[in-house]
Amino acid sequence: MSKQATTGADSGSRLRDTAERQHAGELEALARVDDRARPARWRLSPWAVVTYLMGGKLKDGTVITPKYVGNQRLIEIAVATLATDRALLLLGVPGTAKSWVSEHLAAAISGDSTLMVQGTAGTPEEAIRYGWNYALLLAKGPSREALVSSPVMRGMTEGKIVRVEELTRVPSDVQDTLITILSEKTLPVPELNEEVRAVKGFNIIATANDRDKGVNELSSALKRRFNTVVLPVPETMEEEVGIVQRRVAQMGRALDLPGETPAVEEIRRVVTVFRELREGKTADGKSKLKQPSSTLSTAEAISVITNGIALATHFGDGKLKAGDVASGMIGAIVKDPVLDRVVMQEYLETVVKERDGWKDLYRACKEVL
Amino acid sequence: MGGAVTVLGVRHHGPGSARMVIRALDAVEPTAVLIEGPADATDVLALAVHEDMEPPVALLVYDPERPDNSAYYPFARFSPEWQALRWALKGGRLARFIDLPPSHRPALKRPEAGTGPAGTAPEPGAATEHRPDPLDALAAGAGYGDGEAWWSQLIEERRGGEDPVGLFDAIRHAMEAARTDLGPTPHDPSEPIREAFMRRSIRAAIREGHERIAVVCGAWHAPALTADALTRTTAKRDDEALRGLLRRKTEATWIPWTYERLSAYSGYGAGIASPGWYDHLWDHGDRRSERWMTRVARLMRREGLEASPASVIESVRLADSIAALRGRTLPTLHELEEATLSVLCHGNPLPMRVIERELIVGARLGKVPGDAPTVPLQRDLAALQKSLRLKVSASEMVLDLDLRKDFDLSRSRLLHRLAILGIHWGTLRDDQRQGASTFHEVWTLQWHPEFAVNIIEAARWGNTVAEAAGAYTADRARRAEDLEELTGLLEHVMLADVAGAVAALIAQIGSLSAVISDVRHVMVALPPLARIMRYGNVRGTEAGLVEPAVAGLLARVCAGLLPACGSLDDEAAGEMRNEIDSVHAALCTLDRADFLDPWTQHLRKLGDADIHGLIRGRAWRHLLDTGAAPAEDAAVRLSLALSRGGDPAKAAAWLEGFLGGSGMVLVHDARLLSVVDDWVCSLSRETFEQICPIARRTFATFENPERRQIGQRLARGSAGAPGAGGGATDDYEPARGALVEPVLRMILGELP
Repeated sequence: MSKQATTGADSGSRLRDTAERQHAGELEALARVDDRARPARWRLSPWAVVTYLMGGKLKDGTVITPKYVGNQRLIEIAVATLATDRALLLLGVPGTAKSWVSEHLAAAISGDSTLMVQGTAGTPEEAIRYGWNYALLLAKGPSREALVSSPVMRGMTEGKIVRVEELTRVPSDVQDTLITILSEKTLPVPELNEEVRAVKGFNIIATANDRDKGVNELSSALKRRFNTVVLPVPETMEEEVGIVQRRVAQMGRALDLPGETPAVEEIRRVVTVFRELREGKTADGKSKLKQPSSTLSTAEAISVITNGIALATHFGDGKLKAGDVASGMIGAIVKDPVLDRVVMQEYLETVVKERDGWKDLYRACKEVL
Repeated sequence: MGGAVTVLGVRHHGPGSARMVIRALDAVEPTAVLIEGPADATDVLALAVHEDMEPPVALLVYDPERPDNSAYYPFARFSPEWQALRWALKGGRLARFIDLPPSHRPALKRPEAGTGPAGTAPEPGAATEHRPDPLDALAAGAGYGDGEAWWSQLIEERRGGEDPVGLFDAIRHAMEAARTDLGPTPHDPSEPIREAFMRRSIRAAIREGHERIAVVCGAWHAPALTADALTRTTAKRDDEALRGLLRRKTEATWIPWTYERLSAYSGYGAGIASPGWYDHLWDHGDRRSERWMTRVARLMRREGLEASPASVIESVRLADSIAALRGRTLPTLHELEEATLSVLCHGNPLPMRVIERELIVGARLGKVPGDAPTVPLQRDLAALQKSLRLKVSASEMVLDLDLRKDFDLSRSRLLHRLAILGIHWGTLRDDQRQGASTFHEVWTLQWHPEFAVNIIEAARWGNTVAEAAGAYTADRARRAEDLEELTGLLEHVMLADVAGAVAALIAQIGSLSAVISDVRHVMVALPPLARIMRYGNVRGTEAGLVEPAVAGLLARVCAGLLPACGSLDDEAAGEMRNEIDSVHAALCTLDRADFLDPWTQHLRKLGDADIHGLIRGRAWRHLLDTGAAPAEDAAVRLSLALSRGGDPAKAAAWLEGFLGGSGMVLVHDARLLSVVDDWVCSLSRETFEQICPIARRTFATFENPERRQIGQRLARGSAGAPGAGGGATDDYEPARGALVEPVLRMILGELP
């Protein structure tokens, strides 16, 4: 029972494959040319891990596809953190590729990205420590056999990277069970009067969203045990428009939305509004703006556009117009009925109204607000 | 040729270069040290070893006739030129600046626009747009990403050990190769002339019989100044190149400088990104990561942030490990910053700003000895004092200025400008501080000796009073954190008529008002701006610039006022009413429909919103006053607010808002009076008895005579037509008039 059995179809028709299977070829090629020092139980050297994530061309000509599009320095900090056996906390708003990065880091370092705890409001302590097989427990009493290990426990015994997704969604008392594991690198099992000691190579990558509502802030004691890397929203306008466009096209296919491909112009306007409010200044950098309480992530921009397309397809003439995105956009921005309203109103009056060719958006927003 | 010339090519403000220069000088033991710096400043060089001299300082070379024509040459204690200068002066060797003075060049450049010792040099670290940076080119050859990192790692952050002279030889060879490949610097046409001038100065030193000569210059110039180069380029050719240069007489002095002005952020052409870090490198050759992180942690604790020693250890470990991953032997500032952000700040970039300001840039302010020659600002002030006939005296003197006269206006401007610079020579009489509307100013002048120090401190902002006041205001505007400070500053600047600063201030007001969440602060800022807009033109200043700012603030007030009035207690409502009053008054004085219309529309919204009665009542009152709403509407609202069955406290508040503090207005404004009177008359007996205590709360606040007069007006009004403005009645009773006649006669004296 130590190995999680992957049941289901063969790899061909799986909805999604693990990172280490998808990129097995690249990982092998990297391992072949990698002659630098590897920390204990790492499949690759830190340098090779960075190359795996950022992409590049190896000496033997193998091309490594970039997994993370963004600042290489951030990935270097993340890998260096794991190499110093400090736990890594990836922070960022939705759509900044936190889980993506953590999965690929685990795949590259341990060759296994499946040791994962999904954090939710209902995550129990057992998911981080261990549980019991009650039938066995009743039949034979407490024993190693009756113990059901958590992904964290398995990672400790096998010396692998364990991922904890959405750590801030986990209740505070459950979060704090990580403290002993991170500082002492042991997991006591008082029922059996023994403890599980982590072997080298074990480490934790946690991801969290610090700006959302409904999160449990990490205790300072836990925070101190993590090195934090903040993954930023896409750096340039073009990058973000590109991401939104790609994702909208994919989702349109998945949802079988018949409409034509969305107008880049409309995407660009939504992304502009989101970026300006998120950064608290206009795109030309000339005037400052108040920021709303909502995070305005790229993921939300994507959903505004898909909603707009759905509206246009089912109730309009199939073409995405300002009116179709306005209500979705206002809904995404005005999360606090009083404060955000002021923000949006000011933004409309001082920025949108004045901008050339944005009159339709201004009118559409005024109607909704 | 007798002397042996050792050329030490450095990077300006590089601590590693400075350390290597000292070691090289110790090894070579030159009798003359020639430094790349303006040759006409040689007179004041000796002050560099004065015991009161404390870097960062700047050498200021200026034209005594036109003090705004000048150049600054900043030095920190880790500047190689500074260390070489002190090495020579302390050892009693010849120290001389040998670069072509900027005043000799065809066109004298503006200060800081590329004239520093580094600015004129094609700075090895600074990228030029026109061609690849020489360091980048060399770094690319060595497999580095950028030249800055390459040079820092190789030279600035190296901990020494090898032969210093050999290292400088290597630098020179590298630069020689770069010069051959890249050609001369396109953006500095004076480069060949400057190098010719430097060569001539070196030859002069050789002629004077110096055996061993060390030349400290920017690395780029090193290949052009060697003994080889001296023979290759003959004295004759250099003399020819230098023929026909303009010469102007200049003077030089030292002024205090700051690390902030040394940093690239301040616009200094050859600025460095991190003076504080370089300072740290200069102090600590070894264990510098540990010391740096400890300083960061101490700073964070001082700011009330958590920074445990355990975290310091972890951040040093992380910095080391990132450095190892990047193939560096030691962490550089980049790695240390990243480790700080990740471990100590938990990914929060806010504390990094404090660290940046306090440690990476640093807050060090230099000092210069009292006996340094006068600064141009002093001269400018003296000239102004003379031309404006303002006597410098330690005793008080009263000055009455009529601003309609040009001469007095200039005097007023000077005093206001000095006040901006913190030199409070004149104090404006208290009752005159407010209101730019007057053309009359009364000053009290008194000169304090410490002003001399203030002037030297202010000298770093500019060489004339006007220029310094402008630069200083711009700097303060950048740092200001609240609108009130900015508008106050703006009023000052308008009075002082500081060129250019107004636009910067208004831009800053615009961007600050956008992020302020409390609309009351915006409301506080609006009236002074409106005042400037209305009256500023009296003084002929740039009042027109203020208009967009007022419009912007008004838009924000209108967007945010209603929510801000949402849940106010009595006290807060009172304050809000005052703000609304002053904004309203300001807009009324402007008397512009494009400002008043949106405002009254907004007042109408306020008047009918579910908010504190005080505000609603006041909104209706303003609407009534401006005529934006018909009196009938106001009357309806009045009886609605005071109708029976409502909460008496709310009704009282409404009436207080509507009438509060305006007893005199009721006496004279027939319209308002009739609205109130009609309402009272329409009440039934029971209703009146119920309302009476509430109404009393407001009416009781009026002065006794006010109340009496209101009563009289009403008594008279009810006899004649209601609301008719206080005309006398025609009934004349001669018998009663005759009664007072004898008394009048007594008072006026017997009439003939």
